[in-house]
Amino acid sequence: MGVFVFLPLVLPLTAWPVARLAEGRLHPRAATRLLTAIAVVMAGCSTLCLVLLMVVGTAQLPGNPLPDGWSDPEVGAAVPHDEIAGRAAIPALAAVAALCGRALHRHRRVIRLARRALTGLPGRAVCVLPDSTPYAYALPDRIVVSTALLDGLAPGERRALFAHERAHLAARHHRHLLAVHLAARANPFLRPLRTAVRYTAERWADEEAAGTVADRPTVAHAIGKAALLSRGTPAPTLAHLAATGPVPRRVAALLGPAPVARGWPAAFTTAGLAVWGAAAGTLVSAMSSANSAVTLFLILRAAAPL
Amino acid sequence: MARARRAQGELEGQVLGALREAGGPVTAAWVQERLGGDLAYTTVVTILTRLLAKDVVARERRGRSFLWTPTADVARLAALRMRRLLDGERDRAAVLASFVTDLPPGDERVLRALLEAAGPGRVNTRNAAPSDDGGTED
Repeated sequence: MGVFVFLPLVLPLTAWPVARLAEGRLHPRAATRLLTAIAVVMAGCSTLCLVLLMVVGTAQLPGNPLPDGWSDPEVGAAVPHDEIAGRAAIPALAAVAALCGRALHRHRRVIRLARRALTGLPGRAVCVLPDSTPYAYALPDRIVVSTALLDGLAPGERRALFAHERAHLAARHHRHLLAVHLAARANPFLRPLRTAVRYTAERWADEEAAGTVADRPTVAHAIGKAALLSRGTPAPTLAHLAATGPVPRRVAALLGPAPVARGWPAAFTTAGLAVWGAAAGTLVSAMSSANSAVTLFLILRAAAPL
Repeated sequence: MARARRAQGELEGQVLGALREAGGPVTAAWVQERLGGDLAYTTVVTILTRLLAKDVVARERRGRSFLWTPTADVARLAALRMRRLLDGERDRAAVLASFVTDLPPGDERVLRALLEAAGPGRVNTRNAAPSDDGGTED
């Protein structure tokens, strides 16, 4: 399997250009789906290769529970630098498992606590809570909005807010968000994709809301007002030196023309090259990990028939 | 332990709901009867005391026992619980899709400029009441 077993660990780098360009060049719906799919496939391949390396590394350890034949030199020879890579893969895989497990646990915990907080309220989909702090959240099956936020919005803007949150529910955006969150835990090189999907999922809901209320500036004002209402005391950070954050970019996008829902950028534009580059990276990642898995399976079967 | 806590969290809503249906100050025994037999009297009193701490019920002494009245509705109780969740969970952003994310000072300036350029008179968010200029009414 040679170097192929290492490729899926670094191939997420090929998705960085598309994570950066998808925001402006693709329709938010297409961008969210594409980036989520790339992240999930690449995280799976990367983790599979870590498992393969971990098996080779564990077989070299004295007193391991694996078949004795698996520590043969032929098995180690299948992986370049097998001693270092194999041993490094063990803590790496443990870290991935721990991080993903913790992320899943927290996800379930927050959802459970939120559901429990809302027990006994009438109405299934929309919960309006009397609270002086402005906020609006989409749970997997419910919308939670505080009265402070609703009071700060004009009627049309409230409709935009609810349309935005309903779009989150209808498109099951929490699944995309959880998938990219876990993918970023599985391979840190996938973190830009998580950031991008968080943004494009919001943009997707913004565009759905703009379609529902048939008035893009109203949605833009709803977002802008909500952000200004819910801003806390500005912390003395270096944030103002950084690039403009997500909220102004969303508002600016809504004040501009609607994105074209049709298909993909042409192949020989920057965005087109980024999409094809990421697609090629994903394909190579999948093929490398499949190749490595089959090769190692055959080598191990030859070394010690089960 | 976790199960007991969860049960109590859900019971708070039921007890508050029962108090609101009572139509006047009632005793803990009345609440216990109203909720059906499977709750111990001490459990009902414990939950009422927790609700008192959250300031959603009030009590007055009548003879040897207390009479309880609701001061808030179930929605207020839910809001309190939700706030506790939002304030306590550091990485809720990873789980809950928020309508808007935090706004650093630089972004605020950009945002105000964008909104002012887009349409005058609708950017004032200092007052809580919705603006009555009718700009967004259909």
